[in-house]
Amino acid sequence: MSSHREAPSISQDPAADNADTYAFVSPDDPSTVTIITNYVPLEGPPGGPNFFEFGDDVLYSIYIDNDGDALPDITYQFQFNTKIRNEDTFLYNTGPIEKIDSLNWNKRQFYSVHVIHSHHKDNHERDGGGDLLGDNLACPPCNVGPRSTPNYDALAASAVHHIARDVTVFAGQRNDGFFVDLGAIFDLGDIRELQEHHVIPSAAGHSVDPLKTLNIHTIAIKVPISHLTRDHTMPSDPMSPGAVLGIWGGASRRKVQVRSENGKPSKGSGPWVQVSRLGNPLFNEVIVPVGDKDRWNAVDPSDDKGFEKYVNQPELAKLLPVLYPGVFPNLAAYSKDRADLHAILLTGIPSGVVPGFQNFTGPKPADMLRLNVAIPPTTSNPNALGLVGGDAAGFPNGRRVFDDIVSIELKAIAGATIPLVDPSFTPDGAVGLVSSYLEPGVDRFQSDFPYLGTPHDGYDTPSS
Amino acid sequence: MERLSRRSFMKIAGAATGAAALAAAPPMARAAIGEEGAVRTHPTADVPEEPLVAYVRDAQRGEVTVTSGTAEHTYRDRALVQRLLRAAGRA
Repeated sequence: MSSHREAPSISQDPAADNADTYAFVSPDDPSTVTIITNYVPLEGPPGGPNFFEFGDDVLYSIYIDNDGDALPDITYQFQFNTKIRNEDTFLYNTGPIEKIDSLNWNKRQFYSVHVIHSHHKDNHERDGGGDLLGDNLACPPCNVGPRSTPNYDALAASAVHHIARDVTVFAGQRNDGFFVDLGAIFDLGDIRELQEHHVIPSAAGHSVDPLKTLNIHTIAIKVPISHLTRDHTMPSDPMSPGAVLGIWGGASRRKVQVRSENGKPSKGSGPWVQVSRLGNPLFNEVIVPVGDKDRWNAVDPSDDKGFEKYVNQPELAKLLPVLYPGVFPNLAAYSKDRADLHAILLTGIPSGVVPGFQNFTGPKPADMLRLNVAIPPTTSNPNALGLVGGDAAGFPNGRRVFDDIVSIELKAIAGATIPLVDPSFTPDGAVGLVSSYLEPGVDRFQSDFPYLGTPHDGYDTPSS
Repeated sequence: MERLSRRSFMKIAGAATGAAALAAAPPMARAAIGEEGAVRTHPTADVPEEPLVAYVRDAQRGEVTVTSGTAEHTYRDRALVQRLLRAAGRA
């Protein structure tokens, strides 16, 4: 998956597991950028009575680099606080939750938002630093079912908060927007539509999307573009270096946790230590080997040089010809470093590669989403294949919620993007067949903030 | 509460963490740590592989808890608590 349970340590810590990061020019408000970071992957909708929530002991951060050095210039920090109205009941709610301040809602969560402007990463990890943009902001409840959360969309809408400095935020449960045939892809790289060609063949089938019935917890923020760019303007020239933002999310925990013997919450001490991060989807999941995944989560994008070797010679590119014998002969014979993937994932695509497009942040290799904010959103028939499909408003120019990441990255790793940097290479014919073979449903997303669709309720989606 | 004497605590702590940490610390870090008011010990205990943790459980009462392996000891040492608070910039 994009980054759901992608590393050994963080797979044991869902509340801090950054599963997806999205960044795009808001299609309904193109003077702003929307950034989304998702946590608590693979939520089964009926998971009560203690339904899913953010960690009160986790520091959630969204980082923006606007000068190409892979260090955060702007950081938005989110910290959560759970409140219980009635400790004498086991119930999440004691009646229908019809409003966000309903007295029937027993276990509620609130959060604060700070912004930090600093060029030093250490400054971004201080507790309580920065400027407070909003406090005591309510999350919506989880979508329990028709008796408990009868008008969920209204509840969720009331949890969209307009806070200081023209910032809009939402934090709470949504439908997971990522789509992939998990069951097949982790069964030795199977693609059901192509499995008759697999080294362990079976009759061709149809891809299945298990995530379509699972929820996730979303932190979404919408910020005026001029608040994020280095010169505080709204760029109009896509070829301007100042038009590109580097964006990633991360979660940190205190270095020391002391548990109490009386059941009270544990107490943290010491500095914040990063336990999860994510820029480009699937980077840690598919590119980094298992022995280095925890380290990758712990370090910053500015320290990514040591991971270049995994991008230059990706394991999956070597596996595809083995798993699908005779299908990828040109890929199998290609031994050069993958300059195409290095550009897409670690530096951005420089000008001159794709006409009229660049999202280059400089030579420093770093895993960040790179969003060229001078490229307007595609509001009519956007192509889920993004730049590969001729739609420069999509991945790897940032990432929209509906972008078909699995198809894009599978095609790229299979060799579709090598000719951009090495015209002597001819992609194998099978590259055109490599795909997620999934079409997310129309209710998976919504057209306005926070763009991810209504989470499934536990009554109507009892098993998943 | 006085189950572990200050002297024995300093001996264990010095052996398990202080000595190991200082040995690994670069010269600048050692200078930053400082040795003002430190108690010199001559530890003989084995250095455990996992962290030995000492924390101030109750500053008002001068209580310090030390955990090592699966053991935990709490004892009272107001002078040590004062020094730890100073080291933490809280006193």
